[in-house]
Amino acid sequence: MKLVGIAGTVEDKSYNRTLLEFIANHFSNVVDIDILSIDDLPMFDQDNDITNSGAIQYLNRKISNADGVIIATPEHNHTITAALKSALEWLSFNVHPFSGKPVMIVGASYYQQGSSRAQLNLRQILEAPGVNAIVFPGNEFLLANVKEAFDENGNLKDEKTVSFLSSTLQKFLKFVKVINMMNDKTGDDGEAENEDLTASGKIETTIEGVDMTADDWVEKAAEKVNAVDGNTYVKLDRGILTVDQLNYFLNSMPIELTYADSNNQFIYYNRMADAKKMLAPRTPGQAGDPLANVHPKRAVHGVKAVIHALRTGKTDLVSMPVPGNGPDRFVVHYYKAMHNADGDYVGINEFVADLIPTIKWYLAQTGQKLVADPNAKVDASTGASSNDADSKTDADTGASEDVDTPEATNDGGDVDATSGASEN
Amino acid sequence: MNKYIALVGTNTKQSTNRQLLQFMKRHFDQKAAIEIIEVSGLPMFNKPADREVPQRAKDIAKKIDASDGVIIATPEYDHAVPAVLMNALEWLSYGIHPFLDKPVMIIGASFGALGTSRAQAHLRQMLDSPELGARIMPSSEYLVGNVLSAFDDQGNLTDKEKIDQLDALFTDFEKFVKISKELWHTTDVNRVAIKKLDHEDFG
Repeated sequence: MKLVGIAGTVEDKSYNRTLLEFIANHFSNVVDIDILSIDDLPMFDQDNDITNSGAIQYLNRKISNADGVIIATPEHNHTITAALKSALEWLSFNVHPFSGKPVMIVGASYYQQGSSRAQLNLRQILEAPGVNAIVFPGNEFLLANVKEAFDENGNLKDEKTVSFLSSTLQKFLKFVKVINMMNDKTGDDGEAENEDLTASGKIETTIEGVDMTADDWVEKAAEKVNAVDGNTYVKLDRGILTVDQLNYFLNSMPIELTYADSNNQFIYYNRMADAKKMLAPRTPGQAGDPLANVHPKRAVHGVKAVIHALRTGKTDLVSMPVPGNGPDRFVVHYYKAMHNADGDYVGINEFVADLIPTIKWYLAQTGQKLVADPNAKVDASTGASSNDADSKTDADTGASEDVDTPEATNDGGDVDATSGASEN
Repeated sequence: MNKYIALVGTNTKQSTNRQLLQFMKRHFDQKAAIEIIEVSGLPMFNKPADREVPQRAKDIAKKIDASDGVIIATPEYDHAVPAVLMNALEWLSYGIHPFLDKPVMIIGASFGALGTSRAQAHLRQMLDSPELGARIMPSSEYLVGNVLSAFDDQGNLTDKEKIDQLDALFTDFEKFVKISKELWHTTDVNRVAIKKLDHEDFG
């Protein structure tokens, strides 16, 4: 289980941060806690939306990906700090990573009161509709007289306090499991279905006035925007190539690349071979198509779920093995979220590779062979696993249903769940 | 004529709470001098070890010190007071205590029907903390809901009932300011207590 911890302060020295660090270290055998900082966030200002900044996107991704959150709050003026409130305002404005997320509140203070009023107030804020967290009821953990509470190594001195904290945390971990089970049953945030696969929207780079579905979309769109080609130089991060050189380079990649932009339009693939020879076949006429046109209807739900998970930062990478290619092939479709310098989602880099040649080469080089693990629980042939993706995303993609169907077992073309351009 | 400082509890340019204060300033200009002050632009409160309070906060504190009372208009973000107002109150209670025993009236406007009721309760709780120690006018919630339709083109409240309510409340507030001047018996002990808090590294 993976939690994130937030110390509700931007002070250089904070006992609440010390408390979180103690929890993370002391209970590292039962739970993995990543401590996040809110230091870099400016004051919330609805007129100056910086949701797309790296600092907010980082918190958004980290919290979204976590199973639960622990917030340690000090108390100023009978309430939480402005810094914590400001962070929560950013994270409930145009992104909502706390939505449905189990949250435990703890607090340390200099006096007898602990941080009781601040905790109560934080509870009320977290339960506001824009934040929509699910706050762990009861089990208030207040650490009073904090100056005397820790030894020089940052460990809580009082054994009773540690054991109370331990039982509180154990209960919270159960709570997290129950809440996440409930979340899974009701699906994700329900917004995945809003993904518009017909690419009817428009982003800055959308080329308007050209029929997306036309076979010569590339030629017409290129004319429209005066796209450069041939020996014209293009400045890249990091280097300079001509368009020809860029093509030599991309078309000789050992993987099949597909670019789907954030408007869900399939705008590029590296045409390294004829469709028949590709692991995930694409034809020249498909470039420019909306994603809806290059997927079978039954794959739509899975496609939307994958795009939504990448767009909202729930995961950065979805990996799907495609079975049915025989023992000599292990084809994997990877869907990687792309972001610009501001951390904005800009689309999907789909890359498809057959891992078997690499594995065979490695075995030959090192003099080893593959042996089946009798204890393994992984059923590689059913597909739809995701390494970076959390299990929730995995369950939601629905891709395994697709790959199990008989017609999907020929060349992997029509199981292409996200940005691909399968012929169907 | 009493002098009041009116704090705008938000940093957004289009604020109906600012509009509400501007209306009050005009509406009561025969009775009172109301100066509207923005709370935005202060750095994020980080409890600096050197206890140096930004000049802007010192300036606001000075004005509050010199006033007879404070009116605070707060919107509601996430069932609570906006961070930008909380931040100002943190600076205004860190080694300086302009709110101590200062009469305060709380008002709030919102787009929804509920009109900042939770934020006002939250603000009361904050102002009641020893570091702020304000004298908040009791039983005086003033909420303006559905604000998009509450003002006319000139920025005047349109609903007569709301205006009557505001008139009555403001009259009461002026009376409350007067009475508060007699509530001085705890002032000295409060000052001693707060100085003690200042010397400890609270939080």
